[in-house]
Amino acid sequence: MKHIRNFSIIAHIDHGKSTLADRMIQKCKLISDREFKDQLLDNMDIERERGITIKSQTICLPYQARDGQTYDLNLVDTPGHVDFSYEVSRALTSCEGALLLIDAAQGVEAQTLANLYLAMENDLEIIPVINKIDLPSAEPEKVALQIEEDLGLDGSLIQYCSAKTGKGVEDILEAIVKHLPPPEGDPDKELQALIFDAHYDAFRGTIISVRIINGTIKAGDVIRFMSNGTEYRVEEVGLFKFRREAEKKLSAGQIGYILAGVKTVRDTRPGDTITLRDRPCAKALPGFKEVQQVVFSSLYPISTDDYEDLAAALEKLQLNDAALSFQKDSSAALGFGFRCGFLGLLHLEVVQERLEREFDVSLILTVPSVKYNFYLSDGTKIEVDNPAHFPDPAKIQRVEEPFIRATILIPERYMGAVMTLCMERRGENTSYHYPMPGRIEFTCELPLAEVIYDFYDRLKSITQGYGSFDYEMLDYRLSDLVKLDILVNGEIVDALSQLVHRNNSRARGLHACEMLKEEIPRQMFKIAIQAAIGGNIIARTNVSALRKDVTAKCYGGDISRKRKLLEKQKEGKKRMKTVGNVDIPQTAFLAVLRSEQK
Amino acid sequence: MAGLYLHIPFCSSKCPYCSFVSFPGMEQVMPRYARAVESELATLVRQEQETPIETVFAGGGTPTILPTELLIPLFDAIRKKFSLAAEAEISIEANPGTVTRESLARLRQAGINRISLGIQSFNDSELGKLGRRYRTGVARQAVMAAKAAGFDNLSIDLIYGVPGQSPATWRQTLEESLSYVPQHLSCYQLTIEDGTPFAEMMERGDLDLPGEEDIEMMDEMTVEVCRSAGLRHYEISNFARPGRECRHNINYWRNGDYYAVGSGAVSCISGRRQRRTEDPVAYCRMVENGRSPVIEEENLDRETSFRESVVIGMRMLTGISRADLVARYGMDVQDCYGGLLDRLQDGGLVELSPTHLRLTDYGRRVANTVLAELV
Ligand SMILES: Nc1nc2c(ncn2[C@@H]2O[C@H](COP(=O)(O)OP(=O)(O)O)[C@@H](O)[C@H]2O)c(=O)[nH]1
Ligand code: SF4
Repeated sequence: MKHIRNFSIIAHIDHGKSTLADRMIQKCKLISDREFKDQLLDNMDIERERGITIKSQTICLPYQARDGQTYDLNLVDTPGHVDFSYEVSRALTSCEGALLLIDAAQGVEAQTLANLYLAMENDLEIIPVINKIDLPSAEPEKVALQIEEDLGLDGSLIQYCSAKTGKGVEDILEAIVKHLPPPEGDPDKELQALIFDAHYDAFRGTIISVRIINGTIKAGDVIRFMSNGTEYRVEEVGLFKFRREAEKKLSAGQIGYILAGVKTVRDTRPGDTITLRDRPCAKALPGFKEVQQVVFSSLYPISTDDYEDLAAALEKLQLNDAALSFQKDSSAALGFGFRCGFLGLLHLEVVQERLEREFDVSLILTVPSVKYNFYLSDGTKIEVDNPAHFPDPAKIQRVEEPFIRATILIPERYMGAVMTLCMERRGENTSYHYPMPGRIEFTCELPLAEVIYDFYDRLKSITQGYGSFDYEMLDYRLSDLVKLDILVNGEIVDALSQLVHRNNSRARGLHACEMLKEEIPRQMFKIAIQAAIGGNIIARTNVSALRKDVTAKCYGGDISRKRKLLEKQKEGKKRMKTVGNVDIPQTAFLAVLRSEQK
Repeated sequence: MAGLYLHIPFCSSKCPYCSFVSFPGMEQVMPRYARAVESELATLVRQEQETPIETVFAGGGTPTILPTELLIPLFDAIRKKFSLAAEAEISIEANPGTVTRESLARLRQAGINRISLGIQSFNDSELGKLGRRYRTGVARQAVMAAKAAGFDNLSIDLIYGVPGQSPATWRQTLEESLSYVPQHLSCYQLTIEDGTPFAEMMERGDLDLPGEEDIEMMDEMTVEVCRSAGLRHYEISNFARPGRECRHNINYWRNGDYYAVGSGAVSCISGRRQRRTEDPVAYCRMVENGRSPVIEEENLDRETSFRESVVIGMRMLTGISRADLVARYGMDVQDCYGGLLDRLQDGGLVELSPTHLRLTDYGRRVANTVLAELV
């Protein structure tokens, strides 16, 4: 155990986490250079494009230190977005230390702080690392001062490096060995293994990433998941080298994987404790939470023929994404689809992109909703996350909606703007304090429904990207809800209905009409767009008829180009859904949620 | 039938709306270019020796920016290479300011029997907006010179929807054009092409294009004024006295065969479409080195080619001949589109007769929307 170090890297997007991880892998000669692929830890398209890691990956680096000994350095990768903060906290719990990686030219950025706090809450030892010292614009001294004075970290521990050139990387590895404590735990006690991640493999079933806190596990053992009592026989245990490498056993302090023929990742929940059937531990490890879907939206294939494909794609996706839930749904406008639950809006977007890209189904998402509690006059309580199930208003006694506590970190100068935004969004019980000079940590209780209504985009825009945002679920509070319907040429498009607070309903209705006017292309007839509440029209607008759409000139040299343009137009039309006789583009369904026009 | 297209990629200046393969300030290159075109001509392989070429079209750019000493030999070379039909249509595009009565007479003498004058407008302020170098006086002289030189198959090219234009000024341009009794008139609505200075101006909101209603009035006026002058509307943007339709272009719209020489030129022979490099100097170099200037080739499968023939053919007011399509592809439009045609007919967008498929007047206004269904 003395020769193990478990750590993760906390960094703002683009500060060089992936690059540094790659350098470490090279330095530890885990793989030959030929095998070395850039951005090894971060290998999914969507994640790379957005610069966020959603599915974390772990790697075990064998490092020969200057003291002549070889250490196993386990680098646990963490996702970097608020929707996944629970996953981050589980990953951090499996470590004793963390590198706080900061770009020498950018300095400390707000978003790094939320994760730094998480690490501190978990009593992790922190090594500050200043990266990109090769940049001409680098100001390492200034950043070092920030780290010492603003963050209150030990300046003598600061490491300077260039992940790009490799300079300083060995010193970081050395610092990990020297300054991070080795794990504690007793290999002879009852098994307690913390699940911090799970991936699905088509051949082996679920690959469970664990930190062994106490005890020992080996192939042949029968394990039990403490949260639900299910039991499996262990087929293999091992370490995450470049490929998985089987080991005879894993014991206290180690980070590795377990294969036990688990069919879906749903059975392996991050934060859950694994123990042995025959010698169970007394108590599960603390901190386990059931994943909570807080945002719900229906997915429909644009072409109704794709329904079966969508079903298959969702099932496949769920193998690897335990946080996604879905069940059948249907809509008068859109036909058959699925009602899905997500961790947050980013999770929703990631799922949409993955379905479209990996499974090649074009989708329509309906306006996302949170889950409301309706108390009816007959004394029953129902949960509603779908506007289609809005009960008869005459029978509603009261409604409750979920509230969150938002924690927002901002440079002081944005205080006013952020306060205003929160008030616009029905915020309550605001408070703030200064965690460091010039920075404000602002907390506010907000209806979750207001947060999924493009709150994060607005926050980023009013704070010019300096605002970081984190939230936790609080409770349900009394609300006053109405159902806002959208009519296109006189027909209600059920997929565009939303549940909104009565006070906001008029503004939302107007806004939805305006956004739809932007999104729905002109067609051969005039299109009326109306917003209505309980049959009363509260807003209306029109998309005027297409008067002219013809290419003036087409000669020999143009024929191919013109044909391709028409083909493109035809493709575009395929990405629209015909409701009544109106073609509504896919983008229109989410556009009503954007508060600003593009 | 087959045609031959010759591209001359030079202009005296570049108009701010133009996306054609045309370059100003290349006078130095012209002689070399003319030689290269002759060399490329020599390498062409004639597909069906027996059938003569029916149309030749020299377009640009501005073909008449080439001195006649360079231009006429190209036509001679064409005649030497190919047998031209007795009544072949031999057209040239010309711009005001690049022609004189004498130069035109020489071209006519050399056997060129049709001229298409790029007048664009008979309004000085509009010519200015379009970035044209000449003004109406020179434009008038060009028309008169063409007539005096003996061109009895004269086309005038006009642009409408010009920044600052009104239906009234367009009517003046139309009427003055028709007063010269041309055999043919092309009226193109200004298209803002990506990458042109006009596109940038539009992005900035600096282009005061006429509104939709004005454009609609101009559209209707164009058809009306041409009709009363005896010019039949035969393609979306083209009008002609009966029998004077541009045969070369009709061949394009019928998706027929055509040879091509010159930079940026596209040929299409037996379903094989080839595009030549646009850069005139690169073109010269490739030809001089004995390499083919073709940089892109496309071979369409039967269905794509069928659909393409339909969508280009529908540009013509007579539409497409169903018998022709069956003869060519062994397929009728009803086999290909089925119920779609019924829907389009119900929407008043197309007309299907026993012999033809065509756009209705309304369908023609929104042609792209309709053709995007048929492509
Ligand atoms: N100049 C310089 N660029 C770096 C360095 N480390 C990373 N980068 C660049 O910074 C960008 C972001 O790096 P990446 O590792 O993808 O960041 P991540 O989002 O934190 O994983 C990439 O373009 C890297 O090439 C460094 O030490 N010096
Ligand atoms: S004269 Fe014609 S080809 Fe030349 S630049 Fe102007 S529009 Fe383009």
